[in-house]
Amino acid sequence: MNCEAGQGHTGADLSETDILASLYFRLLRYSKTDPNHPERDRFILSKGHGVGGYYCTLAQAGLLDESLLKTYLQFDSKLPGHPVRQKTPFVEVNTGALGHGLPIGVGLALAAKKTGRDYTVYVLTGDGELQEGSNWEAAMAASQFKLDNLVWIVDRNRLQLADFTENIMMLKPLNKKMEAFGMSVHVTDGNAPASFIETMESLPANDGKPKVIIANTTKGKGVSFIENQPSWHHRIPKGEELPKALEELGC
Amino acid sequence: MLNMDNAKDLRDVMVETFISAADEGVNLAVLVSDSTSTAKISPFKERFPDRLVNVGIAEQSLVGTAAGMALGGFVAVTTNAAPFLVHRANEQVKNDICYTNTNVKLVGLNAGVCYGALASTHHAIDDVSIMRGFGNIHIFAPSDPLEAEQIFRHALAYDGPVYIRMDSAKFPMLHDESYRFEPGKVDVLRQGGDLSLIAMGSTVHEAVAAADELSEKGIEADVLNISSVRPLDSKTILGSLSKTGCGITVEEHSLHGGIGSLASELVAETGISCRIKRLGFVEGKFAIPGPRNEMRAHVGIDAQGIVRTSMEMVK
Repeated sequence: MNCEAGQGHTGADLSETDILASLYFRLLRYSKTDPNHPERDRFILSKGHGVGGYYCTLAQAGLLDESLLKTYLQFDSKLPGHPVRQKTPFVEVNTGALGHGLPIGVGLALAAKKTGRDYTVYVLTGDGELQEGSNWEAAMAASQFKLDNLVWIVDRNRLQLADFTENIMMLKPLNKKMEAFGMSVHVTDGNAPASFIETMESLPANDGKPKVIIANTTKGKGVSFIENQPSWHHRIPKGEELPKALEELGC
Repeated sequence: MLNMDNAKDLRDVMVETFISAADEGVNLAVLVSDSTSTAKISPFKERFPDRLVNVGIAEQSLVGTAAGMALGGFVAVTTNAAPFLVHRANEQVKNDICYTNTNVKLVGLNAGVCYGALASTHHAIDDVSIMRGFGNIHIFAPSDPLEAEQIFRHALAYDGPVYIRMDSAKFPMLHDESYRFEPGKVDVLRQGGDLSLIAMGSTVHEAVAAADELSEKGIEADVLNISSVRPLDSKTILGSLSKTGCGITVEEHSLHGGIGSLASELVAETGISCRIKRLGFVEGKFAIPGPRNEMRAHVGIDAQGIVRTSMEMVK
């Protein structure tokens, strides 16, 4: 899809794919026929640049016409380069600028508490994204408002646009920082669906604490020459790289 | 002299409107960023403690949380000082409210130079310009208590993003009880013919006072209250400017991007024969801080300044 479109965020798409597949094939509550069902769980892709992986997941889950994937990034396509809710079913929020998903997730979770709805709000952020201060404003609010219906998943691939996260602006000890903000913190392998799902399904309920899942991942997961390479944040496979990548992914 | 007998603080009107809307069943949530006193929101909080959300001193969180609450079914209203809303939370306003098209009403309190001597960190003389740059959002600026009430009632009923530019002081009525605010309609307060005074928000009072004084000098002015900046009633503005051939815009806002820009754009695009003088804060400069009346006088947006400019233009 990225090759056909001529651009995309290949590394980010691959690092989050196991998380998205776990959500859409196992964890999220939604109606296939009614994207706006009031009791659906809300999912916000705060790392909006991972939209390629998101569209593929929605298509695989039967929530998006697969033929649309060919139109990715084309003029006025239903699949623009960052999520747009007016264009694509099941997209809740227009993201792409980092640090926006969590405050909106706080509002959705707070609305559920105030209206007695029992949906869960899932927000997937990157890890470099956590350098945006708005996340920490929202974390304080989530804790203050006791939003135990909010699940914040961090795609912890340790890479951002320019370099490794810890070289740019150190995030560790991330679990302790989040605990200090009042979160219930859980660390798991974001590229191993079985353990990710086990962690998600054993989260404490009704404890008054927002949940954080630090999902350790590998950026570019599944393709040896893309994995852990900062240069692959924006890159797409060229020439011989494409068949090689598809072979490694078992496609 | 202005009759202040029926004057009211526009914020009191706002809060009364919130209370009556909630009483009538509007699924309203009011969010503040520790700005409970700025918004004078206590009466609402006492009546509906569960409907008031204080996110602390965190404007990005304020706007993002409001977007989320709107997506969760609330009519979400943020109430804090305009500079911290439009400047600190600018990207949240753009993406979470305008672009995502959430049902949020953003109330910019103490807009313009309400904060006077507190200086430019606390001024918002570019808010209309900034909001005009964004898609989807409607932009309103009430001039008096009656209009404020009607703008808030309309905004709460309308499904979509709204920015309300608020002056947070006591103002007398400019309208009698029969007045009905209509979005996308210019409110013509006075019909003259010699020149058009086009004003927004609290400067409408200055324009009305100036028109009274000009009338004594034999100059009759149209006075246009632009309380609905978007949607805009360009027809009425152009009608007045075509008739008088001479327009003065008056705003407690930068000359860039406010109603002065709007009127000039309309004139340039249609090619009507009309001279426009824009009164407001000098483009490309921060406002000189001081008592608000002196700040207004310095840039000529007080009644005296408007009269002076009018005399120069009409002679």
